[in-house]
Order: sequence, then structure tokens, then C-alpha cells
Amino acid sequence: MSTTANSESLHTSSGWFPGLRSWWRMLIICLEERLAYRSDFALGTVMRFLPIVTQVFLWTAVFAASSRTDIAGYSRDNIVAYYLLTMVTRAFSSMPSLAGGISRSIRDGSVKKYLIQPIDYIGFLLASRIAHKLVYYIVAILPFAAVLFFCRGYFPPAPDGLTIAAYILSLLLSFLLGFFLEATLGMIAFWFLEVSSIIFAYMLFQYLLSGHMFPIDMLADIPTGITGVSLADVVRLLPFEYTAYFPAAVWLGKITGWELVRGLLIEITWLVIMIGVCRFVWWRGTKRYSGFGG
Amino acid sequence: MRRYIKIFSTFARACLVRDMTFRVNFLLECLTSLGWMSMNLAFYLLIFSFTPEIGRGSGWSREPFFAFVATGLIINSIVQTLFMPSASELTEMVRTGGLDSVLVRPLDAQFLLSMHRFDFSSMANGLVGLGLLSWAVLRFPVTPPLIAWLLYPLLIVCGVAILYGLIIMLAAATILMGRNQSLYDFWFYITNFSRYPAEIYAGPWGDPLRSFCTFVIPILLVVNVPAGTLARPLSGESLGMVVLTFAAAGISVGLSRVVFQAALARYRSASS
Amino acid sequence: MYNSSETKSDLIIEVNDLAKEYRVYDKPEGLWASVRGLFHRKNRIIHALRGVNLSVGRGEFLAMLGPNGAGKTTFLKLLSGIITPTRGTARVLGHVPWDRADDFRRRFALVMGQKNQLWWDLPAAESFRLHQEIYRIDPVRFAKIRDELVDMLGVSHLLGQPVRELSLGERMKLELIAALLHEPEVLFLDEPTIGLDVVAQHTIHEFLRHIQKQRSVTVVLTTHYMKDVAALCERVVVVTHGSILYDGSLEQIVDRFTTHKVVTLDLENAPAPGEMERFGFSCEVHGPRVSLRIDRSRIADVLPKLLASQQVRDVSVEDVPLEEIVAGLFRGAANRQAGVDPEQEVGAV
Repeated sequence: MSTTANSESLHTSSGWFPGLRSWWRMLIICLEERLAYRSDFALGTVMRFLPIVTQVFLWTAVFAASSRTDIAGYSRDNIVAYYLLTMVTRAFSSMPSLAGGISRSIRDGSVKKYLIQPIDYIGFLLASRIAHKLVYYIVAILPFAAVLFFCRGYFPPAPDGLTIAAYILSLLLSFLLGFFLEATLGMIAFWFLEVSSIIFAYMLFQYLLSGHMFPIDMLADIPTGITGVSLADVVRLLPFEYTAYFPAAVWLGKITGWELVRGLLIEITWLVIMIGVCRFVWWRGTKRYSGFGG
Repeated sequence: MRRYIKIFSTFARACLVRDMTFRVNFLLECLTSLGWMSMNLAFYLLIFSFTPEIGRGSGWSREPFFAFVATGLIINSIVQTLFMPSASELTEMVRTGGLDSVLVRPLDAQFLLSMHRFDFSSMANGLVGLGLLSWAVLRFPVTPPLIAWLLYPLLIVCGVAILYGLIIMLAAATILMGRNQSLYDFWFYITNFSRYPAEIYAGPWGDPLRSFCTFVIPILLVVNVPAGTLARPLSGESLGMVVLTFAAAGISVGLSRVVFQAALARYRSASS
Repeated sequence: MYNSSETKSDLIIEVNDLAKEYRVYDKPEGLWASVRGLFHRKNRIIHALRGVNLSVGRGEFLAMLGPNGAGKTTFLKLLSGIITPTRGTARVLGHVPWDRADDFRRRFALVMGQKNQLWWDLPAAESFRLHQEIYRIDPVRFAKIRDELVDMLGVSHLLGQPVRELSLGERMKLELIAALLHEPEVLFLDEPTIGLDVVAQHTIHEFLRHIQKQRSVTVVLTTHYMKDVAALCERVVVVTHGSILYDGSLEQIVDRFTTHKVVTLDLENAPAPGEMERFGFSCEVHGPRVSLRIDRSRIADVLPKLLASQQVRDVSVEDVPLEEIVAGLFRGAANRQAGVDPEQEVGAV
């Protein structure tokens, strides 16, 4: 990510959200960079689906030996559709090298220029992420569409318009939530040097608790100490599920009606919280940082 | 040759010294790889709460399956400790001209390139694998026969050899194409297929995939055969697989060497 | 170690019509070009080396002088066996370098400036020990040579530190030591003084001169610094755009490529404007100091007239500076490449 070059172009504008033209320029540069690795991205996008192939075979074997037709409400076909849908969610919510990039710029001091300039670092990062994501979608839409079309037999019939609207909303929210979660994570570098292990631990928990590995409903039979509360209920309260599980479950019709509304409200709540936390951490972090006069 | 062993131990010693200097980092790396592993183990336990076996009639019930996982941990730990660190540096070496200085030494380039850096923190997983293996085997309804115990370590070596050959061929591709793509990515995708017993690949799509990954790119032999030797009753078929695995190991190492030497002959040395 | 029966006559390096071409892909500029780049990539052929001929005898110290991109490094890489040529042959110590025979690799050494060959994480002492193993150096001999070289360069206090912590100059000294531990017969140096400060450069020059004489090593050194050449060797090969422009001694470059000499006059008083130009030679006037470029054949003629016409405090008659000659050579070759008429006299301003 050539953020240094792009940040120069954005310095001409001030305020919370940078000028549209500079943003457009960044978009174009990003697109050019992607196209430069021509065979890489075509192959790379398809290869990302390969682990799903293994998971599908695994679950098929699990179903074959268990003589059940569904596990936690998911049939075998449901599970295939579920994994594919989590890929779609991840295309929105995953923020590659966001936390790492922020922590690195804090460590090597390049974050300083954002402290001096009248530019909003977080806003800048968000804008550049949007640009990168758009480019990614442009470039990845064909492989994604091809794979989903090829696997359309595994999907249940499409849900109604309202559910689709809720789905799209949850995707957009998952992008923002994912962004603020990782941006906050990266800013831990203001206090700790060895951030990579912390980031790794976060990735670990996120992988486990977001539904990336398996639908969270499967934890429904696992008790916690409290009566009537299963492990699934606890995990569902955390923000992680929205980065993979929630939108997928919505599309598949596993979350409906009042539960759906509640889920969206919780997602929005987490988003608001994370925006606040992120800003707060930035404020405290930069205060501390400038104190060093490095 | 004794010379190669001495050189190997010089590198190993240097790596160990460095790891011990950065003790905290080393411990953190051990913990993170253990973390990943525990997560996967939890997942497997979850699966077994839904089913007694993976794959109808495959024989991979809970304890045999965990023996399979343990075998995978041991083999991957060996590969990650001994070969991956050096191999993944290869792109960087091609870019900075480090490969040039390897080529002017009167020493086998493949040896130097695949074995000059080690990652001892990856041994943590292997140790856990040994523990897991003991736990699982103790719970087997039938103790494996002596011959299974004799074959097991040999088959582990074969599994490592097959993976080593794959690494070398990927390294050769890196040299030829001077790619930016990290070796780890390809590696992850290829070895992902061998995370579970080969028996899960069944059906109109599964069978061809299984044959391909057994006979063409034999990653399904790596963990399956040693684990199967211990965990499942021996039969004519399984002994056949043992022979196949030995052959695959030899071919993998031999073929990869040929490919690697060919890549070196075409080396462009595009650095500066 | 010295198999003189292998090499007929005493030619250590024989190069015949050695050429190397690369196919290079152009990076597309702009969005539309990037999209097109998905389907078709523009490529062109780079001639790094065009049919070079060279012979080097035992014990010679040869400098290859040329601007960046001239092909010097490519040439050394071919002679070290790192890459294979597109056509042509070469023999070093009787071996074909790109066969990469262990026997060959044990008898030469390559040092590349600014590129590290020592193992980055190991202290230099460990790297040396590694070298001993790799090159199978007898331990007693190894210790003797190592101590000798370390003393000569005064780096014994650096041996325990990991190489990555040392400065460029210190690293280069250790690289040179490492290269000489196995007593190579041929030494290839690729821009060894690049990026070094003046003191370090001088130390290395002294060191190389001493070593070369003491051990009769055949040395091929590439550089784009005139300083290296002037300090170290008699034989110079000038390379530009993949071809050898000149191969001979340094003094002869002056004779061969210039017809002028530079006459510098220190006058009592600054001359009147236009006065010096009257003589019809190109000149530079800085106050009372005048430099003129005068045709060699006419100096005997013109000089007395000059001295008579002015009040002269001091006079010197010198060759055109080497840097200028060589720069002119490079320029001429570049012009030839670009299709411009090169028949410009070098040194004539």
C-alpha cells in the first residue's frame, strides 16, 4: 500500500474527509498496482476458495458417518453455502495489514507527519481502505461470481427483499466494524513495542469466534456455568461474529424477525463503541507519543 | 559428508544462539503456534460431538483421528523447523543477489539454500504432537503391532521427504520467475488438502481429487500413511500404500533436485 | 593448488565473443496501459554484453572501467559462473565457469561491493570458520592466513560482532579477508569501493596492491571510479554499452584518445577580455589564471609565443585529465548508441 505517495496528494485538503479528487486518484493508482500483478490476482482470488473445498469434504464425511440430516440447523448443503457466504463477508470485513501498517508507522515514526498536518489519520485510513476495497471488488467480482454460480445448487432459494436489504446493511456495517476493530488494534503500538504477537492473538480469537471456522450455532449445545445460556449465546454477544457469521446466517435465513433486528442493533452498537474507542485510543496515544518528542 | 554436517551444525548453533538472545520473542512464537493448534484441536473435539467417525466406515474415529492430527503436527513441525525458514528467504535472496554468492561457493547450492536458517520455535508443535500421539495410542482398542511401530518413524521421514521435494520445486519456481509471492502462500494452499484423512475425499469430485493428491502430487500420503499404519489395522492395501509412500519419497527428492538444478542453470541474476 | 599444467601458456582468463541478452518487460504506465498489460506485455531485448573478447595472464591486475549499466557486472557474473551466456565462450583457470565445477569454485573468489556475502547473522569469526569448512582449508594454514589478513587490515576487534552491526567499510574489509582465506588464484571484485569513505578506499587500495603482489593473484576489478584505476593497475579495459572500447595501459589512453594538452598559465595580471581567445584555442579564463587546450603537435610552436605575449608567473603543461577522457569515451559511445555522429575529438572542448 503506497500510503506515503497517496498521503501527499491528500494533504491539499483538510477536514474530516479528504477531497474527492485526491481519493479518486488514489483509487486509480491502486487499480494500476493490482493490474501489475496480472497473473497473481486472478490465481490468488481463486486459490482463496481452495480451503473451502477441504472443509466441504470434511463436513460431508462428518454427515456421512453421523446419520444426521442437520447439525445445529445446518444441512450439508447449508454448510457449503455458509462457507461461501463467509467468504463474501470476509471480502468486506477483512483488513489485511491495517493493524500491522498502523503499528509499523507508529514504530518507525512515519505517523508523526499526521500529528503535525491538519489531516485526520483515521479518516484518511478509512478513505484509502474504501478505495482499496473497491478496487478489490472490481478485480475479484468475476472469480467470486463464477464460483458462486458454479455452486448455486447448494444455496436455498433467495430470501425476500427485506432480508436482502438487511443483508446488505450488515455487510456494510461489517466493513466499518472490521475497520475500527483493526485500526484500534494497530494503535496499541503507542504503548507496546511487540505488537505482532498481540495482533496474532487477536487474529486467533477472531478466527475462532467469528464463525470463520464453523457456524456459531454449533456451539449451542455447549453449556456455560449459567443456566439457559449456551456458549453460542455468549459468543453471539461479541463483535467478532459480524465479521463472518452474521451476514451469512442472515442470507441463509437462520436469523429472522426480531432476532435479526436485534442482531443489527447490536452490530450498530458495537460499531459506535468501536468508533469511540478508536478515537479515544488515538487521542491518548498521540498525546503520549508527542510527549516523547521523538 | 562430514563437511555438510559440520556446516549444518554451525548454522544451527548460530540460530540457537540468536533465538536464546531474543528469548521473549522465541517464547511468544512458541505460544502462538501452540495457540493455533489448540484452536484446531477444539474444533476437532466439537466435530466429534456430532459424529462418531469422519467418513462412514473409514476407521477414523476420535482416537485414530487424533493420532492422525498428532502425526501431522510432528511432520509439519520438522518441516517448519528445518526447511521452511530457509526456503521462504529465497525470494529475498534472489532479489538482493544473495543467491549469487551461494552459486560461487564450492558447495551444493540446494543444501545451502534449503538449510541455512532454522526456526526452533516450531518444535513446540511437534512436542505437543508426540504427547497427543501417546494419549491417542494409549486409548486404542488394539495395540498396534511391532511392525507398525517400526514403520512409523520411517514413514514420518518419507512424509518429510515428500514435503521437502515440494518445497524445493516451489523454490525452483521462485528462482525461475523471481516472484514476489511468498512461498508460504502456495505452501498453505497445497498442504491444506492434507489436513484431514484422505478418506474424506469421496464421491464424483472427491475421488479424482484424492487420486491426484495421492499419485501425482502425493500430499495425501504424507500424514495418512504413517498415521494409518498405527491407527488402522494393517492389510494388503495399507502395505501397498507404505511401498507407494517410500517410492513417492524417493521420486519427490530426486525429481525436485533435477528441477532445482535446471532452475539454477537458467538463473538470470537480475539483481542490480 | 597451482595446476599450471592445466592452463596452456599462462592465460588465466580467455574470453571469446561473449554475449548476454535479456528479455525485459516494460511496466505499463497509466490505467489503460495497465489493463492492456493484462493481455499483452511489451518487451524488449537488452544487450548487456555484445561479443566481448579478452585475455588475461597470470598475475595481472586488470581494471574494467565503465559507467553504470555498461555490462561490467554482467561480465563478472559470467566469469564467476553465476549466469550463462547467450553465446560465446570463456575459460577461467581452464574451466568453463558456468559449469560451476567445485574444482573451479575453490580456486577463485568474488567480492561484490555493497552486497553482503558473509552470513548476516553470524559474527565474522563464524563466517570465516564456515568458509574454512566450505573451501576445505587446512586448519593450520587457515589460522595463519586469517591472522595475517586480519592484522593487515586491523579488524581483529570486529570479529566477534554480528556482521549486520558493522559499517559498510568494516564489512568490506571482512569480505575481502573472507575472499582471500582460501588463497584463490583469481579474484573478481565488483565495485569494491563503492559507498566507502576516502580513508576506507585508500586502505583497501593499499591492501589489494599488497596482496596482489605478494600472492601473484590475478585480479579483475570493475569500477566507475577513476581513482581505483589510477591507484591500482596498469591495464585498463574501458567498457560501455556492452562492448570494450579500449584495452591497454592507462598512459596509452591519453595518447590514443587525445591530441591536446592542457596549458595552464598563471599571469601577473588578468588578461583583457578576448585577449586570450585571439590565439585561436579554446580557453578558460579565471582572473589571472588561464587554461588553454592546445594541439600537441603545435605546443612547441605556440608556447613560446604565449609566454612572450604575457607576463607569466607560472606555466604548466599537462595531459587532459583522465576523468575527462574517459567521460568523453562514455559520451561518445552513448552518442553512437543514440545514432549521433561520434566523430568528436575527446578532450577538445
